[in-house]
Amino acid sequence: MRPNPVAAIPLLRRFGWSFAAALGLAALGVLTLGYAVMALLLVGVGLWGTNIPFVWGFDLINYVWWIGIANAASLFASILVLRRHGLRTAVNRFAEAAALAAILAAVLYPILHLGRPWLFHWVLPYPAVYQVWPQFRSTLVWDLWGIMSHVVVTSLFWYIGLIPDLATMRDRAQARGRMVAARLYGIFALGWRGSVAHWARHQAAYRLVAALVLPMLVSAQTIVALEFATTLVPDWHQARVPLHVVLTGIPSGLGVVLALAVLLRRTLDLDRFIDDADVALLARLMAAASLACLWLYADQLLAAVLEEAETREGTFARVFGPYAALWWGALVLTSVVPQLLWLPWFRNTAPAAILIGLGAAAGVWLDRFSLVAGGLLRDHLPRIGPAYGPTTPEWTLLVGTVGLFALAMLLFARLLPVVSMFEVRHEESEAEAP
Amino acid sequence: MSDLHGVIGAFSDKDDLLEALRTARAEGWTSLDAFTPHPVPEAADLLGARPGRVAWIAMGAGAFGALLAYATQWWLSVHDYPINVGGRPLHAWPAFLPATTIVAILWAAVASLLGMLVANGLPRLSHPVLAAPGFLRASEDRFFLMIAADDPRFDAGQARHLLQRSGALRVSDLPAQ
Repeated sequence: MRPNPVAAIPLLRRFGWSFAAALGLAALGVLTLGYAVMALLLVGVGLWGTNIPFVWGFDLINYVWWIGIANAASLFASILVLRRHGLRTAVNRFAEAAALAAILAAVLYPILHLGRPWLFHWVLPYPAVYQVWPQFRSTLVWDLWGIMSHVVVTSLFWYIGLIPDLATMRDRAQARGRMVAARLYGIFALGWRGSVAHWARHQAAYRLVAALVLPMLVSAQTIVALEFATTLVPDWHQARVPLHVVLTGIPSGLGVVLALAVLLRRTLDLDRFIDDADVALLARLMAAASLACLWLYADQLLAAVLEEAETREGTFARVFGPYAALWWGALVLTSVVPQLLWLPWFRNTAPAAILIGLGAAAGVWLDRFSLVAGGLLRDHLPRIGPAYGPTTPEWTLLVGTVGLFALAMLLFARLLPVVSMFEVRHEESEAEAP
Repeated sequence: MSDLHGVIGAFSDKDDLLEALRTARAEGWTSLDAFTPHPVPEAADLLGARPGRVAWIAMGAGAFGALLAYATQWWLSVHDYPINVGGRPLHAWPAFLPATTIVAILWAAVASLLGMLVANGLPRLSHPVLAAPGFLRASEDRFFLMIAADDPRFDAGQARHLLQRSGALRVSDLPAQ
């Protein structure tokens, strides 16, 4: 039988000390998260550096940032599925997994920033004792539906694609006599037996959900952006904010996917499935997305010049004021540095590609910081009080969510096939056909 | 006869399976099923699978979700619990649209998965075909064609003969469960 290295990976007995070390580090991160959340629940949001007018600090910065990563990774995966692009076999599965892990990290923030997080269910329209309904004209309610749909639809997209591969894992585990593993994979494979009629409906459902992911992403991220745009803060109250937030999010997600692609093919010997051409295509796509970002930053300045005085002052305060380093740092990391990926040397050198990819994600984080904090420098009223700066509990929470993301990705790489096996088989069978 | 679920043959590649499937169709067998390691749309066509149903289920659920979301917001904001905020309209339809859109997508996506599973008769704990010798490779590199015993013209001998003629690597009987 032709060996299938992808299926063999999750069935390995040992994964090496570097994996154990990474897992330990990520678990430490999750413990930090637990500590940060407990401190927040016991003491309250007074631990954070937020204060009027900076009511949204790290919670919104990190939330919008994680959502951006999730969106771009999902967007990329769903377009590959819809176009039946050859790259989908290589990167789809872990791009979807990264999206799911990022959305899990993102979801924590809006709940934690409520002040009394244990009452988050109050935004759900359910018949409560007090007979009070949520205020449906409030953006908070959009947020609830936006995030919930994002979590559910992203998970479904990932899981539907995974069902046949779970069946393969079940059968491979059984062939090796690993009955417990076979039983566990079997439960989640739902009794998949590869009937061609089932395949036809499976493909229909998979492509359908991929198609639904597109409007879902655009609306979810637009909803986040509209929460800024519907306020009266001059720098935020602009029609271009949704476009800016949706489009600048793309380099962050693509950067994470690129870094993961390079990392996975190195550590799991997947060169046959994630080949040089795949990485080159992904890198060039990222460079192109960065170019679009550059255009958006130029548009931001141009719009500011053309807008009324309050908006202009607001944007200029953000670009040249005390938070200027954030805006320029974002510009350089998301739009300028990734242009290096047009050069073959940078995309073929693993550390360079990983650094540029993660750098773009960091750059988008700076952009969100600049938006949330810098955007508030000029309001309709004179600002009193100190500028916003994150406190240690806020940093702890960020480190914690990074740990959560890393732990989710590590467990995914350990337990599940990281490359879509049935897509690889499909592609190979079509390649054999004359 | 009743103790047999069907007769199954294993093939080494997709083209052999398709050839066997066409022969079986031409000879008038109707209760057939094929098991493959990846989607084979041609085989699905030959077996008359209609995946379009999943799309209709999803669209119907999406429309229902949209209606439900909009109607809930409208009824609760306008009739059950009207709050006057600076004279702004109670029926604020633009503000109701984001939740309506996204709830429609939520319903449609959930219905895609559930519709696919229901149409496929999954989840299912066991199936006679899983007992076929070598069936573990149906999820790797083997292609199987089954002629079920509920075919009106079923005859185990003829079914075995058909599969062997078509170049099956191995033909086996499937006991009913």
